[in-house]
Amino acid sequence: MSEMISTSGLTKKFKELVAVNQVNFRVAEGQVAGVIGPNGSGKTTLFNLLSGYFPPSEGQVTFQGEDVTGQPPEARVAMGMARTFQLVSVFDHLTVWENLVLSNVRFRHNGSWLTNFFFKNARKKAILEYCQESLDTVALSDQAGTVTSELSYGDKRMLEIAIALSLKPKLLLLDEPLAGLSDHEIGEVIELLQKVKSDFTLVIIEHKISKIMDLVESLSVMNEGAIICEGEPDEVLSNTDVRECYWGREDC
Amino acid sequence: MNLSVTQSVFPVGPANRLLVFRDMAIIAASFLVMAIFLPMYWLTDFAIFCILVLSFDLLYGYMGHLSFGHMLYFGAGGYAASLTLLHLAPNPFLAIAVGVVSGALLAAIVGFVVVRTEGAAFALVNLAFNQIGFWLVLSGLQDYTHGEDGLPSTVEAIGFLDFYDTPVAFGFMLICLILVFWLLKSLVSSPFGIMIKSIKENEDRVKFLGYNTLRYKWLTFVIAGTVAAFAGVLYALVKGFVAPGDVSPLENTRIIFSVLIGGAGNLYGAIVGAVAFELITNLLATTIARWEMILGLMLLGLVFWFRKGITGYTYELFLKMGRRAPAAD
Repeated sequence: MSEMISTSGLTKKFKELVAVNQVNFRVAEGQVAGVIGPNGSGKTTLFNLLSGYFPPSEGQVTFQGEDVTGQPPEARVAMGMARTFQLVSVFDHLTVWENLVLSNVRFRHNGSWLTNFFFKNARKKAILEYCQESLDTVALSDQAGTVTSELSYGDKRMLEIAIALSLKPKLLLLDEPLAGLSDHEIGEVIELLQKVKSDFTLVIIEHKISKIMDLVESLSVMNEGAIICEGEPDEVLSNTDVRECYWGREDC
Repeated sequence: MNLSVTQSVFPVGPANRLLVFRDMAIIAASFLVMAIFLPMYWLTDFAIFCILVLSFDLLYGYMGHLSFGHMLYFGAGGYAASLTLLHLAPNPFLAIAVGVVSGALLAAIVGFVVVRTEGAAFALVNLAFNQIGFWLVLSGLQDYTHGEDGLPSTVEAIGFLDFYDTPVAFGFMLICLILVFWLLKSLVSSPFGIMIKSIKENEDRVKFLGYNTLRYKWLTFVIAGTVAAFAGVLYALVKGFVAPGDVSPLENTRIIFSVLIGGAGNLYGAIVGAVAFELITNLLATTIARWEMILGLMLLGLVFWFRKGITGYTYELFLKMGRRAPAAD
């Protein structure tokens, strides 16, 4: 399988703090990869570097064989990279429907940056259908007209995933998609991801390791900004260093 | 696929179009009713000021970018119109065309610089450009603008359209206001409107949807500047002259004040705020010597206690009444 995304010597320093330190991370096309690690280990910083939220201090990010280190987030999204955020990030003042219109308009037809927004009735019908499809995917059809700030946290998370899916990603980066959700909501998100994971390459940061064990095909463990272990999930979790950093020495 | 639910919440549906026409009728009716009680030349000025405040609300209320330099485009429109009338032909439609295009071009050039800044920097960089424009009118381009003396903008009547006939001028400005309202309402109700509201809420997040936000911020800035220039042209046509005061950065406070009074991010609010501000200043100025002090106190009150403005609180009141009604049943 060809590589979807890779990094070489990726480093991010915030003054004295080295949040990500010489990380070489690789995900193959079509793979479902998990990234775990204790709080402050640099997982979200790694995602921020992959998605272009901020530039690295050193190193390189390659997406589908192309160096994207200097590319802004919108360019990476246009190339097929989508992400969600640790704290759900949707537009609270817009309705659920408007959130989806915004994400669907850009990616559902090949107009220019200007004509995308002043589309004709024929194209408008297509956008309506795409938005409806997105709503159906996450079972939020009955909330279409609701202002997003009034949704439950779980529904906001589903909406955020629907927005990411509507971008038709080749690579989807999910930053703790299960955080703050009830067991029932976690089940819904996992079921959705199981259903759609074959459409793209997926990388998930998650604390609830047991919940994603059936989903991921490989696991990388971060500690103090570096990847300390990677491989198949069972092997990784039985590694002594991983158990020590994740659960503490006494649990090993 | 059943689209009936979603079509009703799609921002540019036929139902919304009817609501826009209803709003346009309400604006027209309100101005006609006010014409019974207030001098018509006041209302002509009110309508022009409403257009200016509407343009500012697009930038500040919808996109969340507070500018202290919006008068630059109002003045640019006015001066371009006057120069056209003086040197090309005394034709109002030619003056409108040249004035609007000049404002659009100026906003397009300045926009390239200012949309790269945010927050206080955006406000102050705009103020700096406004100050430069003010200086050019007053001194730098004195040979063309006649400095402090200002420029005459005499226009000839075309058929019944005589800008020095007060009822005709009022009717023309009211039609212009309604057209601008329709244009901006269509814009903010479209996916483009969703985009600029999203930039206000979380610009970084918009970038992660694949949008180059600079382009949309620039376009919004140009549209706001163009509409402000249109207001400037209308002002020049009605007044018959333009003066440096029409480009003065100090005048920006009137626009900001109006949006705050009416409620930002709401086109109705811009109109209500502009009319309320003009009424307050016109009435206060004739009764109280230091009326600016009252205005200052009002601004403090607005900022600390009434941030949603007249329309914001009216909307909340309607919502509360709507919620009580089923309970009473």
